[in-house]
Amino acid sequence: MSSIVAFAHWLQSTQFSIAIQSTLWLMPLVQAIHIVMIGIVFVSLLVICLRVLGRMRMDESIDTVWARFAPWMWTALAVMAATGLVMICGEPVREATATSFWLKMALVLVAITMVNGLRRSLSGRAGPPFSSGARFMAYALILVLVAIVFLGRFIAYDLEVWGSWT
Amino acid sequence: MDLNSFAQTVHGSALAEFMRSSLKAMPVVESIHVFCVALIFGTILIVDLRMLGYPDPKRAWTRTYRELIKVTWGAFAVAVVTGVMMFAPNAITYVGNTAFRLKILTLVVIGINMGIFHLVMQRNVGKWDKDVRAPLDVRLAGALSILLWVTVIFLARWIGFTKGYDFTVPTDVQFDFSK
Repeated sequence: MSSIVAFAHWLQSTQFSIAIQSTLWLMPLVQAIHIVMIGIVFVSLLVICLRVLGRMRMDESIDTVWARFAPWMWTALAVMAATGLVMICGEPVREATATSFWLKMALVLVAITMVNGLRRSLSGRAGPPFSSGARFMAYALILVLVAIVFLGRFIAYDLEVWGSWT
Repeated sequence: MDLNSFAQTVHGSALAEFMRSSLKAMPVVESIHVFCVALIFGTILIVDLRMLGYPDPKRAWTRTYRELIKVTWGAFAVAVVTGVMMFAPNAITYVGNTAFRLKILTLVVIGINMGIFHLVMQRNVGKWDKDVRAPLDVRLAGALSILLWVTVIFLARWIGFTKGYDFTVPTDVQFDFSK
């Protein structure tokens, strides 16, 4: 962990990081794009999960719903990764020393694994009732996504949120 | 009561005092606010894109609209409550902040755009609901709505960088994490 923090200190002193820090409009613009992408990723997956749970778009097959929303979700996720990288380069020490940041990154990996797992469990199924495993995955995925959004905001308040844990 | 006296009254309220004195209230309230904004934008984007004809007009616009509108309004109501909770402890700073004023103004324009759409264009929804391209005014209202919501999100982030709040944590302060 100390080597990561040392790397963060080095990154923060690079010309690239200083350029991000000193360009007033850049960080709010990047953060705004990041939030717009959160909206697209979250609602795309929410619609897919609610379709699996039989609460939305019941007039369409799961394959149709997946084909409609998954490309948006993956594209927005890629843009989120790019904007997230700029945000990390702009404030590397704050990110690297924040418990919320590492929890968020871990949950992002969990969420991606769950999305792929959900897709595999649904392949070849035209409609409900889906397996209890798929339904559980849909509920769990919604919870993980909500936790990711909260942890993203908690990074700015890491000490206040985690206290002596951080 | 002018704007500054209103801000001073809000600034001195019990809610403002609670938000200032609690360590955990602001991060939790802000997180709920961001979550609701994501929900509002994501659901509105689906409805607006359908007005623009994406992905296609085969599915009725009214069907897409009705299944999402409750989520949008529910999230908007919570966003207003959390927005007031974030505004109260820094009310005096916020009313003088240009980004904050522009954000409120943009929200008003969004309301006007939505009002015109519901009162004028939605009345003829039967003509463009399904299987046909929506008229130009409907498509313009949808495009404008997306643009305005992206503007609101940018201005909201811009506030955080211009309101002059000091985010650095003093090293010699003892926090009481039990609050």
